[in-house]
Amino acid sequence: MNPLLDTLRAAALAGRAPDVATRRALLELDDAATARQAGRRLAAAPADSLRDLRDLRVAIVATCTIGSFEPLLWTGLVGAGFRPVVGKSDYGAFDMTLAAADFPGDGDPDLVATLLDAAYFLPREWSPAAFEEFGDAVQARLRQLTGLVTACVERTSATLVLHTVPLPAEVRDTFLSLADRARVSALWHRLNAELLDLAATHPQIVTVDLAGALADLPAAARDARLHRYGDLPYTDDALHLLATLVRRVAQAKQGLSRKVLALDLDNTLWGGVLGEVDAHGVQLGGLYPGNAYKELQRTAHRLRDQGVILVLASKNDPEPVEKALSDHPEMVLRNEAFSVRAVNWAPKAGNLRKAAGSLGLSTDSFVFMDDSDFERGHVAAELPEVAVVSAAGDPAYLVDSLLRHGWFDVMTLTETDRKRPELYRTRAMRSDFSESFGSSEEFLQALELKVEIAPVTDFTIARVAQLAARTNQFNLTGVRFDQAATARMKDSPDHTVVSVSVADRFGDEGIVGALWVEHADGVWQVLNMVLSCRVLGRGVELAAAAWLLQRAREAGARLVEGRFTPSQKNGVAADFWSRAGFTGDGAVFTADPAAAADVMPTWITIRERSAS
Amino acid sequence: MSNPDDIEAAVHKIICEILGKTPDELGRQEPLAAHGWDSLASLEGLAVLESELGVTLDLRAFHAAHTVRHMAELVASELSANTR
Repeated sequence: MNPLLDTLRAAALAGRAPDVATRRALLELDDAATARQAGRRLAAAPADSLRDLRDLRVAIVATCTIGSFEPLLWTGLVGAGFRPVVGKSDYGAFDMTLAAADFPGDGDPDLVATLLDAAYFLPREWSPAAFEEFGDAVQARLRQLTGLVTACVERTSATLVLHTVPLPAEVRDTFLSLADRARVSALWHRLNAELLDLAATHPQIVTVDLAGALADLPAAARDARLHRYGDLPYTDDALHLLATLVRRVAQAKQGLSRKVLALDLDNTLWGGVLGEVDAHGVQLGGLYPGNAYKELQRTAHRLRDQGVILVLASKNDPEPVEKALSDHPEMVLRNEAFSVRAVNWAPKAGNLRKAAGSLGLSTDSFVFMDDSDFERGHVAAELPEVAVVSAAGDPAYLVDSLLRHGWFDVMTLTETDRKRPELYRTRAMRSDFSESFGSSEEFLQALELKVEIAPVTDFTIARVAQLAARTNQFNLTGVRFDQAATARMKDSPDHTVVSVSVADRFGDEGIVGALWVEHADGVWQVLNMVLSCRVLGRGVELAAAAWLLQRAREAGARLVEGRFTPSQKNGVAADFWSRAGFTGDGAVFTADPAAAADVMPTWITIRERSAS
Repeated sequence: MSNPDDIEAAVHKIICEILGKTPDELGRQEPLAAHGWDSLASLEGLAVLESELGVTLDLRAFHAAHTVRHMAELVASELSANTR
């Protein structure tokens, strides 16, 4: 019996969710059989035991037998920190379920996971002698699916996850002429390409590349016996892979993406120990193993280009490290690539905590990569929320180890993501600047804060939805309006959705907050407001409240109503409405816009932009 | 694992796991159908028995086995065929 299963049993008996370390082990499981057993156990545990995890409603819709896909999905989702509520459509009800957008389970799901097999696209009877007919039939079926799916997303706010489908060898090999065999493969690749293209045209559709990922699966993806007997076209290993891809979508959609990569140096970013072999002696670039370390550096740099903040966490003397980073001809990650460099002899957990502090981020957005079992064990014990990646073993696997669990996956990259490493570098400068002032107000005056409030547009909606998904601390009601819901409100006369941007003398922070407001009968009700923790403590939230009251006054509203719904993390926002001059009972707060005091901080200049 | 008793114990444990029963609740000679053994359970049973015990079973023979004991005999004969 796998000890992981015993741990799950013990947690279920004690009525609590698996702890962070156990969840990490679930998420990193390679063995499909254990993952299936774990999922079965999790699904059978009392729902209440998982109450500390974040609810995620999932509907599984399949063109074939679902088999172990459900328990495998459980394992991945619980591993990622969700409490899944799973509904399954009936066997054979695939088209009907999508057509009606009526999903199994209670209410509209957050995620619809589809399970597609090749038989769905293949005509029942076909002849390789009539290639055109065969191709037309496959195309027609694809058109039907595309139609169903695009109509479906109009009627649900769920994210629909599709996947590419491998062409079975038994179809390919039935075509005897090599020319036709190439044509059938080309036809199938186009089918998969169209499935992938659907994601580009519809924000609610995500297509994961199962067919591509299967190429890296060491196990068989298909078992002819299970297929013929049980209409089960995939093995547990293939379903486990698909469940992992779907889990990564859920993670990205719900804003659980990590933002920071903390890297060790010796035997992680280069081979050898700097203190022993000097800068010219480390293995970096050239032939193996130096090329493996250089490729890891390139990969980290590519992550940085997409908004991942790099932190250096090395036990070394700082001067030789700085010199090696600046002078070594093969170095990809130079000194300035790192937003924080913690190069000293202090314990790494403390260094990571400090780095988090100076970046204004929580350590639960950190990934830490190190070759030393001791350092990884120490960080895992001190900071269990940090995702730990091993750089031990053959350096050829470094890039794969870093990328395979999808820690940094996001739904879409925004301009803010791309600029983030730079933003956080200026932020570190800003915290130095703050030490030279006698009072915080003096400091804030000198910051020259500018707050811009603008109706959400097609360009800003992705960032606003991302903030809704990711913001945990300053999140007044915890209602996470996604891109689709926000788009509907943007176009509705009864709603206002605005983005809040902040700039100061050190740079442009971009969009850091948003408000969703509903108007009815002269009452402006704030459905939710979120503000990135990056800008807390500067009065930006009060500026937003002052703006809101003024706009309500101009519109002749008689009441502005706000809510606060406490969660485990949003304590920082509990007194927001009171500070903004609203009165209430702790849950519902109101203010009369005509009589409300102006709470606009004197150090903030507000700019408004109307819809363009 | 070549001892028939060990094999039977291993099969028993796997089948119980799939049915969510304790070993006391499922006799090794009782018909599995009486314990909710349906086509889905049998598919899972096949996959788990094969991966955990390192055998490939004939699907027709597997479906003809209605008790834990029968299944264990099937596994044992496959195992001994492999080692011959």
